[in-house]
Amino acid sequence: MAKIDEVKAMVEAGKTKLVPGLVQEALDEGSAAKDILQGMVDSMSVVGDKFSTGEIFVPEMLMAAKAMAKGVDVLKPLMAGDSSNSLGTCIIGTVAGDLHDIGKNLVSMMIESAGFTMVDLGVDVPADRWIEAIKENQNVTLVACSGLLTTTMPALKEAVQTIKGSGLPGFKVIVGGAPVTQEFATEIGADGFAPDAGSAAVKAVELVKN
Amino acid sequence: MLTKRQNLLETIRGGNPDRFVNQYEFMNLIMEVPMGVEFNYGKIWKDQWGITWNWPEGQLGMFPVHDAEHTVIKDITEWKKYLTIPVVPTSDEAWGPAIAHANSVDRREEYVTGLKIPGIFEMTHHLMGVENALMALYEEPEAMREFIDALTQYELEWAKVMIEKIHPDCLFHHDDWGSQKSTFISPEMFEEFLLPAYKKIYGYYKANGVELIVHHSDSYAASLVPFMIDMGIDIWQGVMTTNNTPELIKQYGGRISFMGQLDSGPIDFPGWTPELVAREVEKVCKECGKLYFIPNLTQGLNFSSFPGVYDAVSKEVDKISKEIF
Repeated sequence: MAKIDEVKAMVEAGKTKLVPGLVQEALDEGSAAKDILQGMVDSMSVVGDKFSTGEIFVPEMLMAAKAMAKGVDVLKPLMAGDSSNSLGTCIIGTVAGDLHDIGKNLVSMMIESAGFTMVDLGVDVPADRWIEAIKENQNVTLVACSGLLTTTMPALKEAVQTIKGSGLPGFKVIVGGAPVTQEFATEIGADGFAPDAGSAAVKAVELVKN
Repeated sequence: MLTKRQNLLETIRGGNPDRFVNQYEFMNLIMEVPMGVEFNYGKIWKDQWGITWNWPEGQLGMFPVHDAEHTVIKDITEWKKYLTIPVVPTSDEAWGPAIAHANSVDRREEYVTGLKIPGIFEMTHHLMGVENALMALYEEPEAMREFIDALTQYELEWAKVMIEKIHPDCLFHHDDWGSQKSTFISPEMFEEFLLPAYKKIYGYYKANGVELIVHHSDSYAASLVPFMIDMGIDIWQGVMTTNNTPELIKQYGGRISFMGQLDSGPIDFPGWTPELVAREVEKVCKECGKLYFIPNLTQGLNFSSFPGVYDAVSKEVDKISKEIF
């Protein structure tokens, strides 16, 4: 098995202690940092699919993301200034009036694993704070708004409509959360919707590449 | 006409109930038991375990705070250093209101129901933060086992005192084990870490006069039902539609009963209407049938988040009973 394949397998298996060493071995063998990174991104895509289909659960997804993060730490010094693998910056948060963050954190982790730079605004984010964050950060290509309660669906609508109505260019808006459906996402003007963290990463990539 | 208690037993034993069990009617919840759980709307406070809670105004519930400063157990390998397990209160002063309430219940009609909120799994993530708690099951399984054992010992101590004080014949125990679509952890991991703890806890209650164990998890947990049966749960309260409850009733009816199926999200919300409630109650009662099923909002106590919904459900359950029975 080539070292990159070993890295991929161990990321998928969530082997946080083994991945950094394997990444170093892959580099020592002559693999390019960006190819190793892409291998790990591909692994996380598999992890996301397995989560979406119920084959794995939250702990397995967390462990895989942590394993990838450890691998990325080894690559970072070699990739400073190289943005060829980056899909841009994703601003993420939970909308005003909602303090839920578990789902949002999982989505953040998976979108980061897909190649985005994450800016997490946390929970209970008022509509105008999204706009500030888009202005404050470079190369924002995606804004991800989470809402977990039926009672915060109006706040989700307000956030999306404020963001879309701001006139700021260059990004797509994705929404999600327990009560959110594709119909609701379409109705409030979001560009995309995903039912879970695994498919959110897939959708995020699809949105910014198209 | 059967008493509430008799009707419940007919329903869960596959006998001849004369109506649907109407939501929580059979459980007289002794909310005065001194669990140390506080519900402080609009406030931030610290509980007896050191967990910081925040219940902002306008929110439906409270949230544990898990930033670096407030997370109680910062390193699972040193949980003993960080955790001070509270002492279960035993004084007459602490238990007086609960004892008085329990003594006032007509046990032929209703079950004197003791409570334990929250449960073992929830305590792990309240004390550690959910991501840390879930990853620790992989990264530090031994420490997690010890920590879960300590939480189990506390629950057993609580059980001992509560049984002595109010002699409950039913237990209502919370522990959310999933989201609406999936369990938080795999069935294999559940079997390894949580099943042994719950076998001890529920076994103790059953061995000490508690006839009925009602467990709340308003989630998907269909894949855990065999474990629920194994640990002694009689009624799973909070069962959501995502579990395919009619199928669960077919498969497991007689060994466990299912209470819920009226998902809070689409029913208990600001724009609810009596017509919506009537439609949903009729649908679930006809789908799930007379036995091993209790129509109920999936909410973990006998009220709704929005005024009127719980009572509207009760009214419709009575109405559909007249039609079906």
